[in-house]
Amino acid sequence: MIMAEPMASMEHQQHLQITFFTKQAQYSIPDAPYSLPSSFGSQELNGIVHSVLYEGATKDAVDFDFLIDGEFLRTSLETHLEDKNISAENVIEVEYVERAAAPRPETSLAHDDWVSCVRGSNDLILCGCYDNTLRLWTRDEKCLTTIPGHTGPVKCLAWLKHEESDESPCMFVSGSHDQTLFVWRYQRSSNNIDCVFACKGHAGSVDCVAVNQDGERIVTGSWDKMIKLWSTVESEVGNQDPEDEEESRIKKKLKSSGQKVSLRVPLVTLAGHKEAVSSATWISSSSICTSSWDHTLRVWDMTTSQPTAVCEGSKAFFSIAQSPLSNLIVSASADRHVRLHDLRTKEMKGTYTSHTAWVSSVDWSKNNEHLFISGSHDMVTKLWDVRSSKAPLYNLVGQEDKVLAVDWSIPDLLLSGGADNQLKIFNYKQTVN
Amino acid sequence: MKGEKKEMSTKVPTESSKKKRKRDLLQDDESNTQEEISLFSTVNKDDEKETDNVAASSEENDSNADSDNSDNDEDSDGDESSSQDEEYFEESSEEDSDDSGLDEGTSQEFGNSEENGSNSASGKTDEYEYDSSDEEDVRNTIGNIPVQWYDDYPHIGYDVQGRKLIKPVQGDALDEFLEKADDPDYWRTVKNKLTGQKVRLSEEDVKQINRIQSSTHPMGSEGLYEPWVDTFTSEVMEMPVTGRPPDKRSFIPSLWEKQRVGQMVHALKMGWMKPRGEIRKMKQNRDLNEPSLDMWKEDNEPEITKRYRMHIPAPKEPLPGHMESFNPPEEYLLDEEEEAKWDSQEPEDRRFDFKPQKFESYRSVPKYSRFINERFSRLLDLYLASRQRKMKMNVNPEDLIPKRPDKKDLQPYPTKEAMVYKGHTDMVRTISPDPSGQWLVSGSDDQTVKLWEVATGRCMKTLDMGGKVTAVLWNPNRTVNLIAAVVGSEVILINPGLGDRLLCSNTDSMLESHTETADDSAKKSAVTWSKYDITEKDSGFRVKISHSKPVIQVTWHAKGDYFACVQQDGKSQAVLIHQLSRRQSQAPFSKPKGIVQRVMFHPVHPYFFVATQQHIKVYNLVKQELHKKLQANCKYISSLDVHHGGDNILIGSYDSRLCWFDLDLSTKPYQTLKYHKKAVRQVAYHTQYPLFASASDDGSIIVSHGKVFSDQLLNPLIVTVKVLRGHKTTNHLSVLDCKFHPFQPWVFSSGADSTIRLYV
Repeated sequence: MIMAEPMASMEHQQHLQITFFTKQAQYSIPDAPYSLPSSFGSQELNGIVHSVLYEGATKDAVDFDFLIDGEFLRTSLETHLEDKNISAENVIEVEYVERAAAPRPETSLAHDDWVSCVRGSNDLILCGCYDNTLRLWTRDEKCLTTIPGHTGPVKCLAWLKHEESDESPCMFVSGSHDQTLFVWRYQRSSNNIDCVFACKGHAGSVDCVAVNQDGERIVTGSWDKMIKLWSTVESEVGNQDPEDEEESRIKKKLKSSGQKVSLRVPLVTLAGHKEAVSSATWISSSSICTSSWDHTLRVWDMTTSQPTAVCEGSKAFFSIAQSPLSNLIVSASADRHVRLHDLRTKEMKGTYTSHTAWVSSVDWSKNNEHLFISGSHDMVTKLWDVRSSKAPLYNLVGQEDKVLAVDWSIPDLLLSGGADNQLKIFNYKQTVN
Repeated sequence: MKGEKKEMSTKVPTESSKKKRKRDLLQDDESNTQEEISLFSTVNKDDEKETDNVAASSEENDSNADSDNSDNDEDSDGDESSSQDEEYFEESSEEDSDDSGLDEGTSQEFGNSEENGSNSASGKTDEYEYDSSDEEDVRNTIGNIPVQWYDDYPHIGYDVQGRKLIKPVQGDALDEFLEKADDPDYWRTVKNKLTGQKVRLSEEDVKQINRIQSSTHPMGSEGLYEPWVDTFTSEVMEMPVTGRPPDKRSFIPSLWEKQRVGQMVHALKMGWMKPRGEIRKMKQNRDLNEPSLDMWKEDNEPEITKRYRMHIPAPKEPLPGHMESFNPPEEYLLDEEEEAKWDSQEPEDRRFDFKPQKFESYRSVPKYSRFINERFSRLLDLYLASRQRKMKMNVNPEDLIPKRPDKKDLQPYPTKEAMVYKGHTDMVRTISPDPSGQWLVSGSDDQTVKLWEVATGRCMKTLDMGGKVTAVLWNPNRTVNLIAAVVGSEVILINPGLGDRLLCSNTDSMLESHTETADDSAKKSAVTWSKYDITEKDSGFRVKISHSKPVIQVTWHAKGDYFACVQQDGKSQAVLIHQLSRRQSQAPFSKPKGIVQRVMFHPVHPYFFVATQQHIKVYNLVKQELHKKLQANCKYISSLDVHHGGDNILIGSYDSRLCWFDLDLSTKPYQTLKYHKKAVRQVAYHTQYPLFASASDDGSIIVSHGKVFSDQLLNPLIVTVKVLRGHKTTNHLSVLDCKFHPFQPWVFSSGADSTIRLYV
């Protein structure tokens, strides 16, 4: 047994039996119990692990975070054990993981108006603004193009197809207050953007859009309480009434200043939400989950167009995101909390409380099942670990007004856009798992 | 001859002669006699009776034989004595022939019949010696109890010495039958229950029984036909004693009888009284083995009657102990110290009120000096102490307070400020959310109307109104997208151009479709309707209604076609109702009835609420009459809102009160809430949640839970749940307006600090 050097003032304190272990093999240390004062926090524990692991060499030491029973240690051992009601009599097994590096603020992209939505893809970042335009940026701060077309503020967008080559240019879709959905194609080599088709049918602002895995189905949710399914495949929308199409095409022509835009109608309209649909996401290849202001999450089977599950919440949902790894759902609400849901059991698994205002947007990490980010009207974007419900891992400060959208589509970039007309980019260095 | 005989009779009857006589009488039936003799040896009383009977019957026999002799022994006339003489004579004559083997006891039995004789003859026998009239039968001492109790025992009782009386041998049924067949006297053989022995009834007994059965005189016909002395004549006198006519009451049925009969009928009905037949039946059915008195039976008095018996017995006086003894043990006696202490104490403080004393003997105990006092106080205690059980209510005062529901159960309600809508540069007097909940319109003193996106706080549009905006209100009809805004004396209808495009264009076309007719313009003198031209239409202005006086309020009807305006100092035109579709206005009240503060349409019925300074009048618009007048117990009504059900209204007043009226209950406020410290500016009901809010100059918005039950019997439940603060006070004004989100439990407020806040 190794005794930590006791300080004079700590003589009378309670000591705890602690063993350290880790799942990251490169950082493992001998499995010996330590007797440590209960007032130790993660800082001190870190020092002990360091002293064992690097034997005093502090040069390129890796910092660690400590978990007790799957919960991050954020306070002293004593208070943590008290809070979690863990007995101090037994030997406490403390897991340590390499501390996620702090996201580094990289750059800030200025817009003309509020940034209401943002999505990244490979090295491209797409923003929707309240000045009715979309902007396409590269990750090295270069504005590729500004896309006018909408007649209302752009509220949502999604990538249909990522850029692969010049033959298959990238495609994306955007929804707006003007009740339409535009599908765009962007040819990077020629910096040419054109509207593939427009989707009309909603009787309210289009607030959310989600595209399925293979990019063939688009689902939208609107303030008119409806969820509509659209297809991007040409052959599936052949049976349109030609007259109607003609008529709307003329209308469209007028609107988009002579540009010829074909018009699509929805394949399916799903009614069920009692209030505005705020967010939608594909949770499998054939089912979606939608959130609404009527305090419910609903799961729909898109092959049969039937609702399959309803998950009742207590507050209006503004945004949801599903982790592709753990299939859990986080939701944002007006009451400052981020909530974690499990759709399979239809119950709430956790509440993450640290924001001080309306949480507007959430997104999961695409390659770490524990991490997600949330943006709030308190001007802060927070990086959360699922295992730490009381405090986030990092606060990403920089925004000077309400954060309206966050995105983590690009694994090493955290994007947040807000009411200060800025799109903030944070670089996040992935820890080795 | 007769005289001789009489003499003889006085002399002769000796014991032996009587025996002879008896023998003689019973001679005809030898066996019977023998049996009786055997009985005599063991039994007293029974035989006495029998012999009495026999004696009597013998006399009767005799008297029957000589038919004229019907006299009693008491008659001491010569005629009678003659017959007796004969008897005695006969007896004496038989004396020889009879064998006098009878014991003394037997012969003594006959002394009864002729006491005089025996007395005179023997001289030593006592007058009462043989008087058995009230003696108990002592052969069996079990007393008058059912003999069945001894059925299971071999004995039948106990004699005087306490020995068991063994039952005589009883034959079985066959014996019985044989006896029945053999014995010619079987029919008059009875069984003595006490002794278990068979007794054959004599001829005379049988006759007597026959007489009783035939309801004739049991003793025969002797003395039955004595001459009747008519002491009180039965003849009716021809002249009555009084000439008084009979009373009426003797002809009518008696009231008392009726009452008594009624009581009895009632008693029968209730089972307190039983008809005679039933009582007999009960007696027959009663179990004979059941002991008549069971002193160990449980006390079956029900608990409730015990409790109601209010009797409390007086406490018994304590029994004297050793200390009170005239010769108490040494340890009870007081030593000097104790005695001094006893003397020094007040009488009330003493542990005992006497000094234990020792006397040599009981004789030397003096009279107890305090006897009278003690008896007197004891009696006072008995007489005057009220020993009465008093029912005392044991109520916890906290139970009387009505239970307030837990705040957690009343969720959701707004708890925290979530959004600040910034943009106005002067105080925001009025706000109104869009019925779809996506937008919010606000009117401010900076002469603008702003349209906000609720979810983000984005100002979507700003309209310059050219004057301070005092009221804005979104049309409640969801198919019409229209805002009424009040600028000075003008009401301007604005199409905000937000939300559904189709809705906006429909609204525009609806407004366009109206064509002004000539008579319209002629009618309207008070107000002027005017359209905006095309250039201004882009800004959203559609229709302007110009009034003569400043307008202080505008309110829409639920259907969205009518809207009402309140003019300041409008006198008879204080209230104007405008119809949008026909561009018409009317002033429904010809006479001013107080200064109108607020008006409101009923959400369902054609009622119209008009709040003057101290009253709320409810008018029926169809019948055009006053439906109800509510008295607000406040000085100056500032605001009014009607519950979406229509049966409850809420008013706020400048004297910082809030009154909830339940129209079903009364014209007085159902509840008055005085939680604001300063004037209440605005009150608002939520349209879906059971919430209401009030905004006050003290800078707070107080949200209360106000649940209205569909059950008529339940009164609304009102619980204050949250005080929301956020607005700064400028120029003594703070919160100016508050409105609920149409479907979320959120409340908007606008303030003098030129902000609009949203609490979620």
